[in-house]
Amino acid sequence: MFTPVSKKGVLGHFCEPDEALAAAAKVRDAGFTHFDFLTPFPIHGMEEAMGQKRSWIPWATGALALCGILFAQGLQNWVMIFDWPMNFGGKPFWSWPSFIPITFEAMVFWAALGSALVAIAAGKRDTVPQPPPMEIETGATVDRFVLWISATDPKWSESGTPEFVKGLGANGVRLVDLEGGSDV
Amino acid sequence: MTRPEASPYATVMDDSQLTGRPIVLAGAGPYGGDLEVPEPLVTGAKKWSDVDQDICMHAERFPTKRWWAAFAVALTLLGVLVVSLVTLLYAGMGIVGVNHPVGWGTFIVNFVFWIGIGHAGTLISAVLYLFRQQWRTGINRAAEAMTLFAVACAGIFPIIHLGRAWFAYWLVPYPNARGPLWINFNSPLAWDIFAISTYGLVSAVFWYVGLLPDLATVRDRATHPWRKRIYNALSLGWNGSHRMWRHYESAYMILAALATPLVFSVHTIVSFDFATSVMPGWHTTIFPPYFVIGAIFSGFAMVITLMTFMRGYFGMKSYITLNHMESMAKILMLTGMLVGFAYSTEFFMAWYSGSEWEGFVFKNRAFGPYGWAYFIMFTCNAIVPQVFWWKKLRRHTWVLFVVSILVNVGMWFERYVIVVTSLHRDFLPSSWGMYHLTKWDWSILIGSFGLFFTLFLLFVRFLPVVAISEVKGVMDPKVAKSASTDADLAAPRAAQEA
Repeated sequence: MFTPVSKKGVLGHFCEPDEALAAAAKVRDAGFTHFDFLTPFPIHGMEEAMGQKRSWIPWATGALALCGILFAQGLQNWVMIFDWPMNFGGKPFWSWPSFIPITFEAMVFWAALGSALVAIAAGKRDTVPQPPPMEIETGATVDRFVLWISATDPKWSESGTPEFVKGLGANGVRLVDLEGGSDV
Repeated sequence: MTRPEASPYATVMDDSQLTGRPIVLAGAGPYGGDLEVPEPLVTGAKKWSDVDQDICMHAERFPTKRWWAAFAVALTLLGVLVVSLVTLLYAGMGIVGVNHPVGWGTFIVNFVFWIGIGHAGTLISAVLYLFRQQWRTGINRAAEAMTLFAVACAGIFPIIHLGRAWFAYWLVPYPNARGPLWINFNSPLAWDIFAISTYGLVSAVFWYVGLLPDLATVRDRATHPWRKRIYNALSLGWNGSHRMWRHYESAYMILAALATPLVFSVHTIVSFDFATSVMPGWHTTIFPPYFVIGAIFSGFAMVITLMTFMRGYFGMKSYITLNHMESMAKILMLTGMLVGFAYSTEFFMAWYSGSEWEGFVFKNRAFGPYGWAYFIMFTCNAIVPQVFWWKKLRRHTWVLFVVSILVNVGMWFERYVIVVTSLHRDFLPSSWGMYHLTKWDWSILIGSFGLFFTLFLLFVRFLPVVAISEVKGVMDPKVAKSASTDADLAAPRAAQEA
């Protein structure tokens, strides 16, 4: 959806999460920015190793939760006080304690569904240029921790970057060029 | 039993070698003391690639005869449900036992029963996640699926309970051409609509978000181009990028943190349906915690029932080990005792309140015409789970299975007792009556199991039944990693090109 496509770059994989973590820190320190790790499961500490900040999703959740609260309070107060006031044994129209359950449910509803959508969109937006997942076999959903450095990176060099990745101890390092079809 | 060589990576064990006790590494702890490490969560020296194979296999091959047999039974029961519902809508409420004075009958009983079953799935996926209980990874996917299907079953009952089910959309507050006629937001029944629909949708989203990486795994294993395309669309193009994992993990944590109070709120609101009515036996403040605990109790029983089948028929013994079953048995025993405590507290309060009506209702509940139902409830829920004080019985598949069935029988009767006994003795003895289930009450209850098992069997047919990416995360990399070489990487590509 948002993922920018890059058809050229270098791939190399690691077999253990710890190796991947160490390699990520080295790639980060070498000044690369258009790089990514494709992993079968999240690795603890990878955010820092890749030079990323903490995810900002909780802020979105907070804002969405507030929207949910305002929506539910607005609807219930407007209906029960102004649009359709009903007299139950002379009790006040503004019977706020009975508005709490729906307010809570609406808060959870907005926050949960919204956060899931925002997180997926944010993940897509943050993705560095990379080939569409099905055009390249990496084993990243099985048991490999795959490093990808895109040729769009400012520090990219045609010969230097594959050598650099090999120097990190990666296995199966290869240059991917889906346009040209060459596969080193 | 001799243990395998103990090392810091004593992670290779068979299911039969598990004892449920920590592995003691003599002298490996700080200051030369013993170090106790938990037994591995995944047994059988599995590699990460084995996990994919073992779990995706069931979604990739033509279903077995056993699956077809089970599916045929489930579909038949679903047919019973459809026929019953059509008959009910055509002939009217007169065909079921609901009548004066018991105006809330099996529909409400079944509704509370099913919604309660669902609660364990959320508890496993959300609460145990927040508590960092890593054993949840083996069972959370199936338990969450169970939640969704149980909520789907539960959702039928309030709608048919309306009597005129075709006006069910009147419960939704939207600007309409009927006045506009709004719902009464002071009513617990209106809260129910919001609670159940929020619960169903949030559970579905939580489940789906958890599925994304696994759908990508299924996609990457697929050989047929259409299968690849469908699973790719379902996985939203997931590729395992850590730039996605970063937000994903954050969102997953938040969903767990939101689902936790949500699950407590849902059964609390269900209990408000009873507790806010001025009716002896219902009008008590103990109801919300009592209902929530009962829900978790019955849900865990259902999880144990389902997991027994998954261990036996789907060869999941390496992922859902006896240790998992034992942990669930412990939760079952704890919640069973809490439920028993709630039953006792109700009696104490009935006496201590000095209310004549409360006192009568509870005496009548235990020793009146429905004493037999109370007896089933108390025995199954408070006494039977006590067998789990013995470790041997906690780790015995048949004991677990039988107890889990008995608990769900008991929990159905708990709701039956609560609904029927408070209503069948009105304030005026001239309005006393009994509640008689007709064949249609039974067929709708039995048919709802058909819906539940049909959905569950379709789930095990098409989706990964264990959370693959989460299970991989709790395995020991030293054991699970691939012995990968450059040649390995080229092999699948070469095979594909050939």
